[in-house]
Amino acid sequence: MDLRKLKTLIELVESSGIAELEISEGEERVRITRSPSSMLQQVYAAPQQQMVAAPAPQLAPAAPAEPVKEVQPEGHAVKSPMVGSFYRCSSPGAKSFVEVGQSVSVGDTLCIIEAMKLLNEIESDKAGVIKAVLVENGQPVEYGQPLFIIG
Amino acid sequence: MKSTLDKSQAPNALTFSLLRLLTDGKFHSGELLARQLGISRASVSNALRGVESYGLNLYSVRGRGYCLNNPPQWLDAECIVAQMGERGKNFRIEVLDCADSSNTLLLQRAKPDIANGGAPGGTVLAVEWQSGGRGRLGRTWHSGLGNALTFSLLWRFGCGLSSLSGLSLAAGVALIRALRVLGIQSAQLKWPNDVLGNGGKFAGILIEAQGDVLGPSAVVIGIGLNLSLQQQVLRRIGQPVSSLADMLADASAVPERNHLLAVILPELEDVLQDFTVNGFAALRAEWQNYHGFQDQPVQLLLPDGSRVAGIVRGVADDGALELETMHEIRRFNVGEVSLRGAEHAAA
Repeated sequence: MDLRKLKTLIELVESSGIAELEISEGEERVRITRSPSSMLQQVYAAPQQQMVAAPAPQLAPAAPAEPVKEVQPEGHAVKSPMVGSFYRCSSPGAKSFVEVGQSVSVGDTLCIIEAMKLLNEIESDKAGVIKAVLVENGQPVEYGQPLFIIG
Repeated sequence: MKSTLDKSQAPNALTFSLLRLLTDGKFHSGELLARQLGISRASVSNALRGVESYGLNLYSVRGRGYCLNNPPQWLDAECIVAQMGERGKNFRIEVLDCADSSNTLLLQRAKPDIANGGAPGGTVLAVEWQSGGRGRLGRTWHSGLGNALTFSLLWRFGCGLSSLSGLSLAAGVALIRALRVLGIQSAQLKWPNDVLGNGGKFAGILIEAQGDVLGPSAVVIGIGLNLSLQQQVLRRIGQPVSSLADMLADASAVPERNHLLAVILPELEDVLQDFTVNGFAALRAEWQNYHGFQDQPVQLLLPDGSRVAGIVRGVADDGALELETMHEIRRFNVGEVSLRGAEHAAA
């Protein structure tokens, strides 16, 4: 299975909201699992999905097992211009400004970062599709921390 | 606590028209009111039903009609500008009967579109009834009709969002200065910018900014200030609150709302100009002078639910709270401060 196909599958899992996807194709089998609750400590390195590629058991000697790897979608990283709290919507319960898979234009609001009762609307500095949201709602962010990946 | 009022029940245009006709505090017959507005008497009765929930006292007497006891002082853009003299030229003031949130509305107007560059700096939206006024974390700002001043000011900065740190504290300084001009000396600040007096919060500031990281940026400063509080309104608020009336020996000396705004706006302008040139550092000492909790033991509730105890040593040049804990002085950009020992009462 080529890398481009894997990437498409990962995006599919991301945008659909399903927790796990397993696909067998010939001798190969791929399982993609989302683990949003365990990502707090690894927001820099890991987006919301982990990919495990496992060989089919009956062909164990032939196909070498791929190591577990964490995939960050490629693209432009939107970074936090300040220290504060990250919010994906304008008020609790409101619709998120953006979701994974959504197209954005330059100037679209992506999130709000609050510091000292100053709510900063963070706008997209690039047009494209949201590939990943790297921080959970309400979490603190540091200066320069990547928030979104736009591809 | 269940709210008896939600935003679907904001007063409509007809109700506002009728209340304005009743501003003289005299009795007006339903028939005359109906004729003045070209509507039926039943419509008059309908439109005035339930106005008590806006903090008003409306008498309805058979044979005499309606009378508004303590009618609200309506906001009037011309009156505000006139009271500012020369400084009035720097602002464009618009009064709205009703708005979800003056901040949201002004932010929308600030956005440049193809036709124009967005509303200019100095634009002010003052609102008689704010139904969805936003506090931090979506808390609603409650006010009775005519008992509070709620407005938003648009300001444009050449600098970017990252240079605006401390701006919300600077706005608090402007508010305290304005209150002192009006003879109210006892108001204090709570980090980052709540205005306290007589044991409760009576004014809040929420700033929303949009723009480029490197600039320029547009900032909307939303301010809500209680002039007086009535029981109907108090019941809807879940935290210790106060009002200007609570801080004055003579409650009838509460400043008129148009005058209040005419005093606040120039103070905001001065502070914003100072901030543009010198940043918050230039206002830091003054902020600490007004700080209600300076050198007091407090606890800070962080967004993740954890608490940090310490002694407030003031604020840094960027407005961050400086808290002396057991081992060190730590700086915070977020959190809710409460006096230690008082947190259980507030919770």
